[in-house]
Amino acid sequence: MIGRAATVVGLIALVSAPFVAPPYQLTLLLPAFAYGIALLGLNLLFGTTGLLSFGHALFLALGAYTAAWLTSRVGVRSLEVIVLAAALVGATVAVPVGLLCVRYVKIYFGMLTLAFGMLFYSFLYKFYTLTGGDEGIRVLRPTLLGAPFADLDKVAFLTGPFYYYALALLAAAALIMRRIVRSPLGLSLRAIRENPDKAGFVGVSVRRYRFYAFVIAAVFGAVGGALLAVPTGLADPLLAYWTHSGNLVFMLLLGGFQNFLGPVVGALVFIVLQDQVMSLTAYWRFVFGGLLAVVVIFFPGGLLGLGRPRERSA
Amino acid sequence: MLFLVAAGLQLVFGVQKILNLACGSFYALGAYAGVTAVTWALGHGLPAPLFVLALLAGGLAVAVIGPPLEWLLRTIDDRDESFQLLLTFALVLMLEDVIRFVWGTAPVQLRGAYLVYGQVTVAGSTLPVYNLVVIAAGGLIALGMGLGLTRTRFGRIVRATAENREMSAALGVDRRRVSRRVFTLGVALGTVGGALVIPATAAVSEMAIEVIVEAFAVVVIGGLGSMRGAFVGALVVGLLKAAAVATWPEVEMLAIYAVVIGVLVLRPAGLFAGATS
Amino acid sequence: MPPMRTTRRQFLALTAGAAAAAGVRLDVAPAFAQSGPVKLGILAAKAGVLAPVGESGLRGVQWATERINAAGGILGRKIELVIEEESSPKDTVERFRKLALQDKVDAISGAISTGVGLALGPVAEEMKAIWLAWDATTQKGVEETMPKPKYSFRSTDNECEAVMASLLTARQWKGKFKTVAGINPDYSYGRDNWAAFLAIMKKHGIEAQVVSELWPKLGATDFTTHVAALQQAKPDLIFSCFWAGDTPIFMKQAHGAGLTKSAKLVLTTGGGVHESLKKDFTPEGAILGYNCFYFEYAKASPLAREFVRWHHEKFKEWPNYESDHGYFTIVAYKAAVERAAKAASGKWPTQDAVIQALEGVEAESLSGARRYREDHIMEATFFQGTTTHKNKHDFVTIDPVETMTTRQIQKPSGVGLYDWINGWKV
Repeated sequence: MIGRAATVVGLIALVSAPFVAPPYQLTLLLPAFAYGIALLGLNLLFGTTGLLSFGHALFLALGAYTAAWLTSRVGVRSLEVIVLAAALVGATVAVPVGLLCVRYVKIYFGMLTLAFGMLFYSFLYKFYTLTGGDEGIRVLRPTLLGAPFADLDKVAFLTGPFYYYALALLAAAALIMRRIVRSPLGLSLRAIRENPDKAGFVGVSVRRYRFYAFVIAAVFGAVGGALLAVPTGLADPLLAYWTHSGNLVFMLLLGGFQNFLGPVVGALVFIVLQDQVMSLTAYWRFVFGGLLAVVVIFFPGGLLGLGRPRERSA
Repeated sequence: MLFLVAAGLQLVFGVQKILNLACGSFYALGAYAGVTAVTWALGHGLPAPLFVLALLAGGLAVAVIGPPLEWLLRTIDDRDESFQLLLTFALVLMLEDVIRFVWGTAPVQLRGAYLVYGQVTVAGSTLPVYNLVVIAAGGLIALGMGLGLTRTRFGRIVRATAENREMSAALGVDRRRVSRRVFTLGVALGTVGGALVIPATAAVSEMAIEVIVEAFAVVVIGGLGSMRGAFVGALVVGLLKAAAVATWPEVEMLAIYAVVIGVLVLRPAGLFAGATS
Repeated sequence: MPPMRTTRRQFLALTAGAAAAAGVRLDVAPAFAQSGPVKLGILAAKAGVLAPVGESGLRGVQWATERINAAGGILGRKIELVIEEESSPKDTVERFRKLALQDKVDAISGAISTGVGLALGPVAEEMKAIWLAWDATTQKGVEETMPKPKYSFRSTDNECEAVMASLLTARQWKGKFKTVAGINPDYSYGRDNWAAFLAIMKKHGIEAQVVSELWPKLGATDFTTHVAALQQAKPDLIFSCFWAGDTPIFMKQAHGAGLTKSAKLVLTTGGGVHESLKKDFTPEGAILGYNCFYFEYAKASPLAREFVRWHHEKFKEWPNYESDHGYFTIVAYKAAVERAAKAASGKWPTQDAVIQALEGVEAESLSGARRYREDHIMEATFFQGTTTHKNKHDFVTIDPVETMTTRQIQKPSGVGLYDWINGWKV
């Protein structure tokens, strides 16, 4: 199958990159991996269940601040603990938020998620004794599987051990998501997207399953957020701003939401493209807006949907 | 003047079910254009008290981007609403840079035009008369829209199309024309709103992104699809802000979101749900 | 016909001169010029509330670069600027990495926002890239996270303006006001400045009752509710450290409500947007701060005057303080390189040598001599004064102009801000 071969080639390329690519490009890939994980979650919500969240950045911010809090304030440096904690925090917040949001569909869902995202942003900004306010909280270098790699400077750390850790996490996330999508839950979700009423008649608890999708997406988002914060070294409120959520959706669309690996591809392409365009022109927002418009109008299936008729994901 | 922006959002949503993230950008465009128009007009001899006309002209002038944008949005009409939302997001990005390109990054403002009508003392506080002018203008427009929607033929068509698109098409309504007019009207409400406020403040580059959040709050609180709702929503948001500033300034922004969420939870269609919810 | 002896002497003189000239050229400059340009990375904000100041800083940098290159560059090597955008902390960290890793610049100048400032400190140390900040010096950034930076060189403390304005307030208005109100942007800068002001009032024994404390969002565009609250509170003095587009808007709306007549005003940083403070709504008699550069300083150097003239001709605007911050980072770097080169007996200095030379380096900025302290904090002169309408512009200026240096208004290294204030002898 073309898809599988391409995936293998891609994986090999990514694994061998640290041996051939210059360090800056490697550091560029790190946020792409993190976004990839978060977007796998977002795609469960959008591609599989049909709910477009315009506040997903909320969970990325949660993950980032969890990492920041654990490393700076509590002194925990183990990335495993951080990732687990981020997942937990994401799930915990997703429960009340999700219960609220999945009552509504489409536009209302989008608006409500946007409102929650901005609520969190305001919270992060205003309650500065807790969150550091506009300055944020630092994210200190974590240990990977217990190893501090103290002899490596940050660049070597990021382009070496951390790179592989992030890539492994992305691969694991993809495998888990694949399982979910193919599970009975995943099938039910797709049925719900196609025709909620029919699904309801057949006995699928529509609201409950949407809720599950929401929480899972939140967990993936938070893990992605924690990973994202490590290269930056800081968690700040702007991570929760609605335009950040907009960018996430942009990436998703760019890669192709109907394809399972679309989100990952979208993240990679977006990051690399943004880097190039930002250096070329001060008006990169215009270019990107135009790109998004073109994608929405002409290539709604994204890059991985090019040349393929609209079909279901694997 | 949140009302005008929200009203624009309402109108467009009511008929076409497009949630327009770019309505904030229209607001910003109107603001910048208003300043340019007034500065030009005053420089060419327009007597100061008439600056409001130049302001309105500037606001209305940029509303010409309505039809082409509407056409753009209509190309993906048949798809999931989420795509339309995304397209409006793309517009936000593009318009932000367009504004930056044309007007630069420094805040742009009118000088003394604000106080041309003098001040008045009401209940112990001094107010520029202009503030009252704006409130009056807002009220007039609201009234006009309300009457327009209920009394005129066009208004009835708009409401019919909002209720049931297929039916009205079947009854011979030219949906495309209605759609275009409604959208442009919505844009115009945004741009005029931006222009009207500008003498009291200044046009800054990030205003589009920031106003959108407040506009959403208004729309949600007031209920989607309802003109009256937009008015009430704007009132509520304004009062909330005033109350917060007077009592517990820290929670200014938080209070609004909290109420938004509260409303959505308790009365999902907002306080004044129209039939289109 | 000159005798043979003279001709030979002339010939000898010529060859000697030629040899000497050749010898000189073989020595210093060409060797460096062949190494290519000195690359300096710039992080300038281009969008949002920071955009005007970002642009301002960039102009200062560009003017410095033009002049240095016109005079031959740094030890014969021209400066090449690689300009990137300062935006959110996450994105700016990525641009910083790009400048350091991919463009391999010799040093990076820029950054204004507090979040970015906090994020870049550790990154500069990790990337081993010299970073000369334009602004963003918060207490947290300096004390908590970067106690002994090697590669980061910061600007003046964020609280200096509040300290100076407070001192002027105490001097001019002690005993003339009983109630104060504060309206400041709701983030670290606003909070730190207001706290400093209150601490200094207390230190000077001024018993001022706080009747209102307002915290609008940074860059807010509507203050109707705030102005109404202030009207209710009826303060004798209003303190504000607004520095962006919100300043003229607030002034306009406050004026419309009569506040500018009923209260004394202290605007610590409003001078940054001085051109938008039109006489129509900005009163005389207010204390207005211009940070480290005042464009119409009577005792300005010829350098400053030339810059102001150039800036106004090119951009039809009068420059503000960020231009000088940007300018200084470039000339300071040049001075440090030259200083280090001398110590390295003519060879191009290593990065460590440049860093050592930057500590304590003194260079002529647009507002007079500035230097970097040994703890990597900038020392400069601050300009504040009383507003006046007596000028040929449509906006206010200050007269008389007070200057204070950082020795007077910036805490010395190793001391906490409030410990320092409490230790004053008043």
